[in-house]
Amino acid sequence: MGSGVEARKGRSDGLVALLFLIPLLFFYGLYYLYAFGFLAQVSRQRVSLTFVNAVNVGWDNFRLVATDPLFRRSVLNTLLFAGISICAALTVGFLLAMMISTGVRGRKLLYGIFLLPSLIPLSLFATVFGQMLETKDGAFNSLFRAVGLPGLQQDWLGNTGSGYAAVAILLVYLIGLPIMYYTSDVTSINLSLIESATIDGAGTWQIFRLMLFPLLRNTHKTVILSVLLGSFRAFDVIFFSTGGQPGGRTSITGTYIYNAALGNDRVGYAAAASLIVLVIALLISFGQLLLTRKDR
Amino acid sequence: MARVQEANPLEILRRRRIDATVMQVLLLVLALWWLFPLITVIRQSLQVGGFGNYAHVLSTTLNGVFLPRTFLNSFVVALLHAFFVLAAGSMAGYAFSRLRFRGRELAYYLVLVFLAVPATAVIVPVYFLTGKLGLFNSYLGVALPEAALTLPFAVLLLRNYADGIDGSFFEAASIDGAGHFRMFTSIFLPLSRPTLINLGTLCIMWSFQDFIFPSLIIKSPQLTTAAQAVQTIRSAFSPTPQQTAQFFAALVLLAVPAVVLIVIGLRWMTMGLTSGGAKE
Repeated sequence: MGSGVEARKGRSDGLVALLFLIPLLFFYGLYYLYAFGFLAQVSRQRVSLTFVNAVNVGWDNFRLVATDPLFRRSVLNTLLFAGISICAALTVGFLLAMMISTGVRGRKLLYGIFLLPSLIPLSLFATVFGQMLETKDGAFNSLFRAVGLPGLQQDWLGNTGSGYAAVAILLVYLIGLPIMYYTSDVTSINLSLIESATIDGAGTWQIFRLMLFPLLRNTHKTVILSVLLGSFRAFDVIFFSTGGQPGGRTSITGTYIYNAALGNDRVGYAAAASLIVLVIALLISFGQLLLTRKDR
Repeated sequence: MARVQEANPLEILRRRRIDATVMQVLLLVLALWWLFPLITVIRQSLQVGGFGNYAHVLSTTLNGVFLPRTFLNSFVVALLHAFFVLAAGSMAGYAFSRLRFRGRELAYYLVLVFLAVPATAVIVPVYFLTGKLGLFNSYLGVALPEAALTLPFAVLLLRNYADGIDGSFFEAASIDGAGHFRMFTSIFLPLSRPTLINLGTLCIMWSFQDFIFPSLIIKSPQLTTAAQAVQTIRSAFSPTPQQTAQFFAALVLLAVPAVVLIVIGLRWMTMGLTSGGAKE
């Protein structure tokens, strides 16, 4: 899409542009530039949230963060959980969106139901989910007993395996955004393509799998990138459901930093971890921009 | 950008009766699974004490938090957040689309790179800044960092939209002697109204969802937001069956503003997210 082509040639609106960008620069200056500078400074100190009596410790914080197995685990978990979300989106999310798009009865209501967990406050949904995990009277174990599958009952937060399973179930609930992308993009697919496929005798599931899935590959890309970016922003989802249990093994970068800063009051240490996470997130974002630029 | 068309190409698949029935049943079963948490929380809230639990949590303060007040607090923060994002975002969107200046594309991509900044990664500086600016226990203190984190998305959305506006509108205005401020207020803003509504709805939803900044900045129970209250009120309930049921009733009530927003604004949220989104 061309932009600014019609502006008179050779004239620069530099000064006007600066005026138009002042509000944006205010926010960026304060909450990004100044904030990152402050992080860089604090990350080499030992200090509490009062920010007084800071002790300079050089690169110690970075060394400690980098060698903490729990930090490495939280980075890997963030990526793993992103992977689970992406798989769920490309399978369950895709299928749900396709089925809803065929215009089944009550499709607006169904659409709303599948989006609900993604749109209400995550702190709320994750808290409810956490309550459902309780071993004795939790909703999941009760349900498994009620439907005659007592073997599926778990001490959900008692061991690593079932802790991960609990997070996976939770993440599948949260595929609202991909459903939005798929239902929106499928409307732009050429009607005659599907018509001729049905005339050739292709079944509904074949059309979903062999035709629509490849046709929506740009949407897959959007879904993958947005989920990946979102995963480093995630926090509430783990903080309120498993709380990182058992023993911090399901923690993610968000909960790790939050606990270091506000739980343990190790602010310099949290700042060092923040910077490392920021670098990872910005690299992913940079990669995304490069990728989407080539498409233009 | 793909426009949402009314006739959906997949609807012809409904002609296959058996497949249509299978899909309908499958969707119903899955919908039940998706509603399972909601059903659970409502059932638990009524288990001991019935609807009286709702009356109880609505009429008392829980650790100093009065639930109806949290709705108001969430709403004020959300409106402030939306105002900042729409104001700064629309001006920047216009600048990146209609103005010519050196380094424009580079500046644009530098703005977008911050799409990925996680709120947790800036809690240390935000805490410090909030103290310096004297914004602890204020709506503004929460809305400002929220707006900073939403702005990269807003600029992406609004620039994309502005690029799609027919240039002849602006040319005609330019010939009539209109300057950029005039074109911004009398052409760009009115033409962008649908996108601004989409973005505003998203801002309100994201604000309703935000837990981190309120929990960092607001310590006063009177100013607690709904998403934050989930944590604040928890210790007000002891683990007796009656009080557990009351806790669940409170959780159901805390979801009400978000659900109302979804019922009213789902269409705009979908359009905002899918038309600008991570796509170009």
